[in-house]
Amino acid sequence: MKLQSLARGAALVLAALASLLLAAAPTWASDGASNPAKIPRLSSGKPDFSGIWETTSAADYDLEPHGARKDAPPGPGIVEGNEIPYTPEALAKKQKNFAARDVSDPRLKCWTLGTPRGIYYPEPFQILQRAQDVTVYFEFGDSVRTIHTDGTLHPIETDHEFWLGDSRGHWEGDTLVVDVRDFNDQTWLSRAGDFHDEAFHIVERWKLVDANTIDYRATIEDPGIYTRPWNIEVYLYRHREKNFELIENYCYTLDYDSYYPYPKQ
Amino acid sequence: MNEPVTTTSATERARKRAAMAFTALIMLPLLVLSQQTPAPTVQPTGGAPATASAQPRAGGGLGFERTVPLIASGRWTGKRLADGQPDVSGDWSNTIANHNNFTDPQGGIPGDPQARGRQLGPREERAPSRVSDPADGELPYLPWAREKQHEFQVGFFLNTKPEYIEPLARCAPAGIPKSFYWHGYEIRQYPGHILFLFNSGSRIIYLDNQKHLPQNIKLWNGDSRGHWEGNTLVVDVSNLNAKARLGRTGDFTTENVHVVERFIFQNDNKRYNYVATFEDPDAFSRPFTVTIPARRWSVEDKTNGWHYEVPLANNPGKPPQGDHFERICVENNGGFGRVAVSAGNTGDKPK
Repeated sequence: MKLQSLARGAALVLAALASLLLAAAPTWASDGASNPAKIPRLSSGKPDFSGIWETTSAADYDLEPHGARKDAPPGPGIVEGNEIPYTPEALAKKQKNFAARDVSDPRLKCWTLGTPRGIYYPEPFQILQRAQDVTVYFEFGDSVRTIHTDGTLHPIETDHEFWLGDSRGHWEGDTLVVDVRDFNDQTWLSRAGDFHDEAFHIVERWKLVDANTIDYRATIEDPGIYTRPWNIEVYLYRHREKNFELIENYCYTLDYDSYYPYPKQ
Repeated sequence: MNEPVTTTSATERARKRAAMAFTALIMLPLLVLSQQTPAPTVQPTGGAPATASAQPRAGGGLGFERTVPLIASGRWTGKRLADGQPDVSGDWSNTIANHNNFTDPQGGIPGDPQARGRQLGPREERAPSRVSDPADGELPYLPWAREKQHEFQVGFFLNTKPEYIEPLARCAPAGIPKSFYWHGYEIRQYPGHILFLFNSGSRIIYLDNQKHLPQNIKLWNGDSRGHWEGNTLVVDVSNLNAKARLGRTGDFTTENVHVVERFIFQNDNKRYNYVATFEDPDAFSRPFTVTIPARRWSVEDKTNGWHYEVPLANNPGKPPQGDHFERICVENNGGFGRVAVSAGNTGDKPK
């Protein structure tokens, strides 16, 4: 055989192998619902997440499977394997938080919900997208998170001050992969008292499964709190109601709103 | 008035500044006092276009120009975004003083007990009033409203009523127009939207020609519907809750105010003037116009604790670019804002 034919033969075999692998692998690319032609895209060809999104899940009430409570609708949970793998000490603290959730949840003060909680909190957020960044504008508290997609890295200095974490994203095919770190230890992950400390680290995977649905997945780790990394997955749905838009909600001002009646004659 | 606050140096920790805006707020009166003596090297230029450098004074600090450049509405010849909008995205900040005094921006706050006996020179040595119409630079209050403004101005130093504490000190959005002379801010643009990220609060401007929200909904930053006319972004603002003050001089509007803002950008993309007409017959005898000059800031400027709280991104081997961090206020609030937030939050550090 000539060298050229050999190469062609090898290429054919490789192509066949590759298609076999692709067919067998349970990747999102092989999911019929994620036909890449049917999702909105920027002129660059990258998926366009622009729009207003919200979960329909009960994840914010409790990430784990739970029956109905007076303060929570039931939900099947969004944690892979159902349970968050707390260390024994951390589990005790989570349970303490849970018992005090009606007074201790930072959301009651309208404090920045943090990441990932803002994503599955039951209030809409808007994504505004450019090539260099993805801006996540939460109606709750009007807090704004920037996911940098311009190739910049996490800041060299790490001083654990961020409520939303420092988010640097890149594209893997049609999936936006975001590394989030440099958190403080102030936010909760849910109303059930789930928490973290400053070593909290999240890798998010954002993917449009169709034009109006985002599959949001995140791998969460924090060695002092959890015994191993754990995963969540939740769907986010596009608001398509006529004239739907975010309405300003600086809810922390409601505590003192009454002090400022507008001046009248 | 203010409780003492220890903070990180204003020049060494841009990140701290971004995350702890409120510390700067507490320090502000001191900062401004130190800036209020006019620099002897800069000559007042009356109403002529600005010739003074837009660079901050040595050591950073507050912009201290004394004039407003003339920028005419007209064609836009600068770069455009893919959707055709003039590309004005980036970092901007006012060039004249801060929010202390609305009509005499470099005049300090009347009645300030911390004024330390400093004497102001003649009015014409300082930047003009932000009120560009009427020509006398005064807000055309109705008598009852002038009385109320005076009460707020005096009350600002008394703190004898909760409403005398400026809402911004409690981390409320600075509102309209104060957001434009309260720290630098970023403009991000998208098809159909323009986003303003202020030091305290954010605004989404809708470029959709839709009607305003129903009037029973009142908002700190109002409901903004805009469109471009050449080099000018025209924004119609309604639904304001009128709780934000215009400055520390007690100036205010009512919730029936209607604002038409014109952001007139210079074609070199280095400057713009904010020219806004306020109609509010409940408190004013006639409409008035507010003019606020602004200039662009970029990585060619040094990070500045007031105008340009933008550190360099971690971007090895590539051209320098600015980085933008989250803005947090209420969660870190302390000082005199402490009295206002919900019971239980009594410390400087959130628990």
